[in-house]
Amino acid sequence: MSTADLRLAWRDVDWTGIVLAAVMAVVIIGPLVVVGLWAFAEVWRFPSLLPQEWGLRYWGMTLGRADVWAALSVSLQLSFVVTLLSALICLPAAYAFARLDFPGRDVLFLSFLTIQAFPRFGLLISIATIFLTLGLVGTFWGVVLIQLVNTLMFMIWIPTAAFQNVDRRLEEAARDVGAGPIRVFWSVTLPQAFPAIAAAILLTFVGTFYETEGAWLIGAPHVRTMPILMISFINNQLVVQLGAVLSLMLWVPSFLFLLMARRWMGPEALGRGLGG
Amino acid sequence: MTDTATSGGAATGRPDASGRVTGLILVALPVAMVMTMIVWPIGLAILDTLWLPGPDGTGARFSVASYRFFFSDGYSLGNLWITIWTTAVSTAILMAIAIPLSIYLRFRTGRAAAVVQALAIFPLFVPSIILAYAFVRVLGPNGMVDIILANIGLPRIRSPYLTVWGPVIGFVWDNLPLTVVILLAGLSGVSTQAVEAARDVGAGRIATFRHIILPRIGPSILVAASFVVLGLFSAFTFPYLLGPAAPEMMGPFMQRTFGDVLDPVQARTQAVVTFLFCAAFGWFYVRSIAANRRRMAR
Repeated sequence: MSTADLRLAWRDVDWTGIVLAAVMAVVIIGPLVVVGLWAFAEVWRFPSLLPQEWGLRYWGMTLGRADVWAALSVSLQLSFVVTLLSALICLPAAYAFARLDFPGRDVLFLSFLTIQAFPRFGLLISIATIFLTLGLVGTFWGVVLIQLVNTLMFMIWIPTAAFQNVDRRLEEAARDVGAGPIRVFWSVTLPQAFPAIAAAILLTFVGTFYETEGAWLIGAPHVRTMPILMISFINNQLVVQLGAVLSLMLWVPSFLFLLMARRWMGPEALGRGLGG
Repeated sequence: MTDTATSGGAATGRPDASGRVTGLILVALPVAMVMTMIVWPIGLAILDTLWLPGPDGTGARFSVASYRFFFSDGYSLGNLWITIWTTAVSTAILMAIAIPLSIYLRFRTGRAAAVVQALAIFPLFVPSIILAYAFVRVLGPNGMVDIILANIGLPRIRSPYLTVWGPVIGFVWDNLPLTVVILLAGLSGVSTQAVEAARDVGAGRIATFRHIILPRIGPSILVAASFVVLGLFSAFTFPYLLGPAAPEMMGPFMQRTFGDVLDPVQARTQAVVTFLFCAAFGWFYVRSIAANRRRMAR
């Protein structure tokens, strides 16, 4: 290679990208690595760069706590119940929005946007004051209701798009060879719409699992979810490692979601969904 | 759009009367939930804070007393101000990072760009509660930054933990992915040829940005900013965990007024004040999503 070639190759290297990637790796991955280190540190005294003693002692300690298991159980119950109810309420509605023609369809479809159009905590306070008079504050079902509202928009909008994208010609072909409407729906429509519906269900489940503000406002002090337990671990500055171990445990659903989301949605689709 | 939908039904020759009823029945439940859990509570919050019982405790009548209290109370105003400040500063920093980042991602391909994109999206998959904990371990007293500084013989930082900068740092980290994603969607409308043509006639980076890119992504920037402002203005978790105890942002302030001070009327007044300050952003956000859907439906 001549010097000119070398210089060209040198200029072709994406230096901006390399610098950006390095800085972002430190700022975005760095803090999580520190949490990971703390979770396996038995002794880490300032100002040592790395823990002096490693071990799993604090994992045993965290897993031995009754409040951790209770919170995990409450969180899972809430997420299952909310996701199930959300699917039962929203999926038929999504089918109707996609396929049926009824008065006010577009206005009603857009009405779910109101959930996003108000500052969330202000909205939660407005709901909470009503729940207070209904005796729903501090109850499991009060938290279910408030978390259910959060899920409506995605659980309707994503499946509606999925039902709209189903190839109508396949349905007509099935009907031509004599399949009844239920058979067509079950064997042709649903399988095509399924990936998007599954994504919406997963999004709802994970979103509900991490929902903090509604659970905190409505559930306190009786309903304690994992994020709320985590808040008390951060605020009360218990043993540092307990928070680190709980963080790693708490990250599992999000990590699984990350793995699956890589397959299902590209950033472009996500951006369009958010109105970009 | 309603009329195109109905005429579409008529064009296929199906009167579809059964579809009309079935459709309404199928959507009734979620729509009823929006009405009872969103529209009704907001309406009631506005009404109930304006119709207060008289001094003798009976006979509700129109009164702006609770708002007069809010806007004459130094503590409430301080909290409102810190909320506006935090929201404005966080949104500005976020845009200053996200706009150049998404322009880079739009016009570069290759290994480094793919890594940068993955890193920019990654915080989407980190729950904010975990980020809050990581923040304390990194930027808090005796955190990782202090450890590194001590090892190279420098003094400790003035930790942003429990200062106004705590929530700002958390918000920027947490909102980076969605902001980049929204801006990238807007940038997909800028053609590479247009940018290359501008560069060919000698336009510099800044001129290209101002005259070619900015006009196309202006709307996306506004959508992203509205989205961020709506999320930040009444945020709870970061200000509660990372911010100062006083003045506090509207989120923790409302929570305390509701849960500890047990004053639902003031809590609702505070909520309505946040609605007022965000009304323009909410309206803009809804309008652009609605317009977007209409465009896609065509």
